[in-house]
Amino acid sequence: MLKLDDRRFNLLAVGAVIFGFVLLLSAFGAGILTLIGAQRSNERVDHTYRVINELAEVDVWVERAETASRGYLLAPDPERAETFRTNVAKIGPSVDRLTVLTGDNQVQRRNVAILRTRLAEEVASLEAIMQEATTGKLDEARALFVNEVKQRRVNGIRATTAEMRAEEERLFALRIEAERSAAATSQSVLAITGLLLIALAIGAIWLVRRYTVDLASARNRLHLLNTDLEGAVTERTSDLRRANDELQRFTYIVSHDLRSPLVNVMGFTAELEAATGRLAAMIDRLEAEAPALVKQDERTAAQEDLPEAISFIRSSTQKMDRLINAILKLSREGRRNLMPERLPMDRLVRSIRDTLEHPLQETGATITIDGTLPDLVSDRVAIEQLFSNLIENAVKYQRPDKPGRIVVRGADKGGRAIYQIQDNGRGIDPRDHQRIFDLFRRSGHQDQPGEGIGLAHVRALAYRLGGTIDVASALGKGTTFTLDLPVTYSDEGSAL
Amino acid sequence: MTDQQPVNIIMIEDDEGHARLIEKNIRRAGIANDLTHFLDGTTALDYLFEHDHGPRKNGPALVLLDLNLPDMSGIDILTRIKGDEHLRRTPVVILTTTDDKVEIDRCYDLGANVYITKPVNYESFADAIRQLGLFLSVIQVPDIDPG
Repeated sequence: MLKLDDRRFNLLAVGAVIFGFVLLLSAFGAGILTLIGAQRSNERVDHTYRVINELAEVDVWVERAETASRGYLLAPDPERAETFRTNVAKIGPSVDRLTVLTGDNQVQRRNVAILRTRLAEEVASLEAIMQEATTGKLDEARALFVNEVKQRRVNGIRATTAEMRAEEERLFALRIEAERSAAATSQSVLAITGLLLIALAIGAIWLVRRYTVDLASARNRLHLLNTDLEGAVTERTSDLRRANDELQRFTYIVSHDLRSPLVNVMGFTAELEAATGRLAAMIDRLEAEAPALVKQDERTAAQEDLPEAISFIRSSTQKMDRLINAILKLSREGRRNLMPERLPMDRLVRSIRDTLEHPLQETGATITIDGTLPDLVSDRVAIEQLFSNLIENAVKYQRPDKPGRIVVRGADKGGRAIYQIQDNGRGIDPRDHQRIFDLFRRSGHQDQPGEGIGLAHVRALAYRLGGTIDVASALGKGTTFTLDLPVTYSDEGSAL
Repeated sequence: MTDQQPVNIIMIEDDEGHARLIEKNIRRAGIANDLTHFLDGTTALDYLFEHDHGPRKNGPALVLLDLNLPDMSGIDILTRIKGDEHLRRTPVVILTTTDDKVEIDRCYDLGANVYITKPVNYESFADAIRQLGLFLSVIQVPDIDPG
């Protein structure tokens, strides 16, 4: 079974149309040829009959002329002489017509020439007889006539005309035969053309039908695929959602359960510290009262080693607590139900600026809103956290030699709100552009407090709101964060 | 004063370290009441509702309750206590690591009297327990009077 693709179908369709036209043209040509043949054979028939007719007439004129002269010899009546002359006069033109009619055929031309000679002799002989008769020499005329009859010239003429007739009929038969075979040829051409046209029509119908069937099955397959795809997407989405929920729960439980032992570590460290304090005091007392009892390494252990160890345990557990809290906060943020509401962004950003009044005055930095920010329908807490994180970062990481200029701008790009928070601060090494969004990862000079949570949180929030966050920055050149958010938050559109 | 019934402290806490720290700080706060410690919910409930010396059959009590127990959620115990005719006036102090606002609200809705988050910072932890001691000394008063 040949494969019926679009290209092949088009090729076949065009081929069928062209072939159909060729067939129609040949049918038309065959029709015209048949018509012409029929007309020509009509002409042939007509021509043959005219020749035969003319020959018959020549016979008649000669007969009549002879009869008239014979009658005149029996009873010289001027009327008979007149009849003779009339009939003789008709012979010449008749022979001329025959010459023209049979001019296309060698045999007939020769025959006409013979006929013409014989007729001339006959006419001359008859005219001589009549000449004698009209001048009163009837006996001489009769003698001439008898002589004439003896010569049987009329028979010769008859033989010639009969021969010509036969020849003409033979020619006629030949031509008709030729015409008939031509007609038969064009008829068979017509028949073949007709058959081919029928075959073509059947082929074309079959082709179109197959193509249609193919199209229909392709459409059905496509439909099935589409439906399947929707199902697959829904399935995947719910899988992802489940996995995400699982992860959130896991994060929550793990971070939560990690805190329990930490409480113990911190608590007993404090107990240890208190006990160490008492031990150190005892060593001091001993040293004052009985110095010989205290060895150097015992003093070092109580006064230096233990406090040092305890302080490391303490700072480490404190750090661990901060990290766990950060994870908890992120997971809690991920579990929180988002409640979309209309947010006037200008006012929202201004209120963030107000909360940063103190560090702004201290560093001489400014925050300006460039133009009007497009409003959002989204979750207030999430958006506030997003913007305050980004703006606080800009305030935090200024260049020491240059007061911060922080610009917030935004534009509505057909359903997406694009915000930019631009600063002229210290910038971020391009190698760290992806890293800064990871949890607990920071970049650049570590002179500011922080756990490396802010931007991870920002990215998680942006994703959750169905948006993206991007950074453009170079060291010392300032940083621009671009936030792309849906103008209207919808549950389905959000990234998981 | 002779028939005064001292408040029995019942601590339901699966982490022995936490239990020890809580007890230490309670004692340091000058509270000398009897303290019974349970490591899981089932035995604690059994004591609360069935035991002869348990609060349902014998005298006032204060419950220190952790929410994350190995066999059940502290919330279940809280619900049982607050749903019982005899026990529902027993003060319940939730002492747990969970600082989720939803969880806290739920506990108060169910009738928890105090909710204390166990801070990792030991000073604030000790502080919280000392304040709990203060709270204990306050709730002792009504128990003295009716006797």
